[in-house]
Amino acid sequence: MMVTISTWIKENLKGDYQIWTLVAAFSLISIVVVFSATGKMAIMSNGGTLSFLFKHSSLVIMGLVTMYFFHQIDYHKYAQYSNVGVILSIVLLIYTYKYGVSINDARRWLRLPLIGMTFMPSDLAKLSLISNLAAMLAKRQHVQYAIQELWPMIVKIILICACIALTNVSTAVLLFLTCFLLMYFGRVPTEYLAVLIAGIFLAASLLVMTGTGSRIKTARSRITNYIQGIKGKKEKDADKQSSYQIDRSFYAIANGGLFGKGPGRSQQRYFLSQADSDFVYAIIIEEWGFIGGFTVLCMYLWLLYRGMKAVDSSGRAFGGLLSAGLTFSLVIQALVNMGVATGLGPVTGQPLPMLSMGGSSLIFTGMTVGIIIAVSRDKVEDSVLA
Amino acid sequence: MNIKKDIVVRVRIMFLMMLLFALAIVGRIVILQTIDGDKWRKKASLSYVKERTVDAVRGNIYADDGSLLATSLPKYRLGFDPLVTMRNPLNVKIYDEGIDSLCMMLSNFYQDKSAKEYFYQIDFARRARVNYIMINNKLIDYQAVKDMRKWPIFRFGKFKGGVVFEKVTKRYNPFGSMASRAIGYKKDHEQVGLENSFDKELAGKAGKGIFEKIAGGSWRPIEGGEASIPVPGVDVYTTLNVNIQDVAETSLRNALKRYNAEKGCVIVMEVATGEIKAMANLTNVNDTNYVENYNHAVLSRTDPGSVFKLASMVAIMEEANIANDEWVNTGNGSMMIGSKKLEDSGPHGYGTITAQQVFEHSSNVGIAKLMLKYFGEKKQQAYYDYLHKFHLDQPLEFQIKPDVRPIINRPKSGDPTALPWNSIGYGTGLTPLQMLTFYNAIANNGKWIQPIIVKHTQIADKLETDYKLTQKVYEEPICSETTLEKVKQMLIGVVERGTASNIKNPLYKIAGKTGTSQKLINGKYQPGRYYTSFIGFFPAEAPKYSIAVMIDNPRGMQREALFAAEASAPVFKEVADKIYACDIQMHKSLGASHYDPRYFATTKLVAHTSDLKAITDEFEIEVNPEHEGWALVKKNDEYLDYKVYKNPKNKIPDTRGMSLRDALFILENKGLKVSYRGIGKVVSQSITPGSSVNSHKSIMLTLR
Repeated sequence: MMVTISTWIKENLKGDYQIWTLVAAFSLISIVVVFSATGKMAIMSNGGTLSFLFKHSSLVIMGLVTMYFFHQIDYHKYAQYSNVGVILSIVLLIYTYKYGVSINDARRWLRLPLIGMTFMPSDLAKLSLISNLAAMLAKRQHVQYAIQELWPMIVKIILICACIALTNVSTAVLLFLTCFLLMYFGRVPTEYLAVLIAGIFLAASLLVMTGTGSRIKTARSRITNYIQGIKGKKEKDADKQSSYQIDRSFYAIANGGLFGKGPGRSQQRYFLSQADSDFVYAIIIEEWGFIGGFTVLCMYLWLLYRGMKAVDSSGRAFGGLLSAGLTFSLVIQALVNMGVATGLGPVTGQPLPMLSMGGSSLIFTGMTVGIIIAVSRDKVEDSVLA
Repeated sequence: MNIKKDIVVRVRIMFLMMLLFALAIVGRIVILQTIDGDKWRKKASLSYVKERTVDAVRGNIYADDGSLLATSLPKYRLGFDPLVTMRNPLNVKIYDEGIDSLCMMLSNFYQDKSAKEYFYQIDFARRARVNYIMINNKLIDYQAVKDMRKWPIFRFGKFKGGVVFEKVTKRYNPFGSMASRAIGYKKDHEQVGLENSFDKELAGKAGKGIFEKIAGGSWRPIEGGEASIPVPGVDVYTTLNVNIQDVAETSLRNALKRYNAEKGCVIVMEVATGEIKAMANLTNVNDTNYVENYNHAVLSRTDPGSVFKLASMVAIMEEANIANDEWVNTGNGSMMIGSKKLEDSGPHGYGTITAQQVFEHSSNVGIAKLMLKYFGEKKQQAYYDYLHKFHLDQPLEFQIKPDVRPIINRPKSGDPTALPWNSIGYGTGLTPLQMLTFYNAIANNGKWIQPIIVKHTQIADKLETDYKLTQKVYEEPICSETTLEKVKQMLIGVVERGTASNIKNPLYKIAGKTGTSQKLINGKYQPGRYYTSFIGFFPAEAPKYSIAVMIDNPRGMQREALFAAEASAPVFKEVADKIYACDIQMHKSLGASHYDPRYFATTKLVAHTSDLKAITDEFEIEVNPEHEGWALVKKNDEYLDYKVYKNPKNKIPDTRGMSLRDALFILENKGLKVSYRGIGKVVSQSITPGSSVNSHKSIMLTLR
């Protein structure tokens, strides 16, 4: 039995085994933690306690299947398809802003016809933009950058980020950050990076001035709230909901102690409204203690490290940039989520990738990790970049 | 510079930045757990952790046959959170769609307000944004709650429909007001009866523990709080008998009403065990109603009056061993003692009579004369020593608190009146229960036994405390056997020939004593205001129960002397009759003959096979009818024989040999009007068997 499993693994799972192991560990932790965190919903909904467990477990498995599927695909193809993805994303994002499904007061979801599942176009946009950017940057590694060549990149980044910002400011900011990093990795000269920053400022102020977008106000109040909190005086009209959540998160972390209360013993899961997604890290620390929180943090860093190794091993710039872009995007999101839970930054509403409960985002995370593994597969000796 | 190396370096730099950020996160966690830890933990525990008490389940109170006398039931009050119905569009929709029919159902259920009024009540609360209202204060039971959970709006539960069922634990007495003062109750500031005296046992121990809040406003105990589990209260098993209590209360109530009396009580005690079988207390309220609102039996100290003469007579006999026929000159029924005049209640006095007659007629002068003769001057102390020996001056330490200490005012030196007045039951203060306990000792062959109303307490099947073990019993008789015999004759005489001859009956003998005393109000004895009592036991030859009846201030009677006999004694008789009727062991043996099949069915007998089977089973007769339905029983040499009895549908049957019950059943089922005369079995009927039913409307049966 053991032999068959190990042979199956050897034959079918290619690429970086450390990433596979990390993914398996994340999946197990996710099922355990989300099962506990949904305890409140299970009580309130009068449904079976296990219904959320089944739902989440099946989504995790679907994510793994997606990952398996994508790790087999030759990632070089994305270089061509990513352009289409970017254009499609823009259309979908605008469509969603107009006609999308609203969950928790934010219209970020699109209901897929036939399947009936909701998905976030911003997930698709993220993946497409990073791939596209990596491809565009890879092409220009052997030539001097000229501003004309950079315009398409800058325009795409600003367009996509602005479209995402209509419904989800924090995701837009994070994506922009990742793109900026990617351009830095791709050796774009500093003056051009400055142009990019200027452009995004312009776009941002335009959005704020015109009041376009449903989430701009939320973002503003969250940031004010955070700054007020740092200054030590909280104004009454500051976003009460987010300070309520942050307080609950701190209660959970403080009560977790070194070893935690043990699985299923969290108390704040009943009061943190986003216990199973945005604030799942607080629940992890409450139940598994500092040890558990630290381990999870290290796992993300280890994943980042392995994604970075792919840059070393990949022969061509595209693979390296793609892997770096995707891992950084994933890990930045994770770190920002943890930073929010611990009070390092304003409330963003970012789920913890691979751990939080979520529908389509688990599938897209599966795709992302699948592509990272796919990159790690090719150990080309004849490096073009030598 | 190598391009790849350049990229790798840039990525590494960013990796280090991430590492720094990760370090910051770790730092934040450490700060939150250590430096700021106490602050956040304290804040968290303030809103989510609380010490709460969990009420223990209160024990039940049971009667001697296990009937429930008091128990705790969960009840509910219907509350409503109007804000829930406005929280989101879905809830608003639920509310809008269901409110009209809900109000109709509320109106139909409670029958106190119209649907419109209910609507205004809820609608107003919504407009005022009140977060909680009580829709109706009436307590409803769980069944009603279950039904209401299916109603519109309510069926969506607390979080969508806003319905709240507030649980209240309510003490419930299945027998209503029966023995309610003995059982007692516990309200906010007032507690009486067994509920009070056994409160500690019944209450159990409330659980205390640290609880944390969980979803939906519920609380759950934090781990490791085992010590906080509530200990349920124990069940109290009383000696009260619901049947005896019922008859005691009914007879007392009727008597009180008949004589428009102020208050009264009845106590029934089992002679051999001291168990209180009934304790009824009634007090007049609003001039017309009688309710249990004070435990006179246990708490009301009064001058017992003539019933106390028994104690004096026992003391005289013990001291001087006088014969029942010792002559006593009562003269014209009045005598001067010191400066006070002592009078008999009879009009002309009894002249010279025997001691027995003195007792039977309750002659005050006779008792006083005997007392002065045997406990005169220097021997006064001896009398009070006897009362002490009879335990009459000691508190009973009864299980219903508070314990009332009897008062016996000993004479001051040079006061010649105290002793004679004491001896006829004045200048003393005793409760009915204390007097009864003394009479019970006489009935129990001199063995004084403490009255007891709680036999034991138990929790589930485990015996907790057996109060029989701590019940005080003095094996040493309070008087000699000869004295016992003589006073018993006197007590029997009271009913046979004396003041209570109105309750004399041929079935069983009653021994007892009447008592009529003037009431002491503001330190003065009030003529015309009387306190009547009758205390005794039955059957006199082998006493099984002793009973005390007290009726305070009966009005509207002709002759003072017969107050007690007319008011109190009949209550005794009614209670005793009922007990006698129910207790087959008390009945005189009828001299049943041994089993001989020839005694059965010597005459024609028709009966239903189910009845016959019950009889043959009971008497262990082996021959059973083999068919179902009606059977004709015949003698067959040594055994019984059963034949099928024909009951044709439209014909008049032959009911001869049937019991009246069976004949009525068969004939009335055929639509006939049945009349009968005589008792026993049917020997003849007015219509010939076999005639058509349709041509007859009524039938006459003769029984013998």
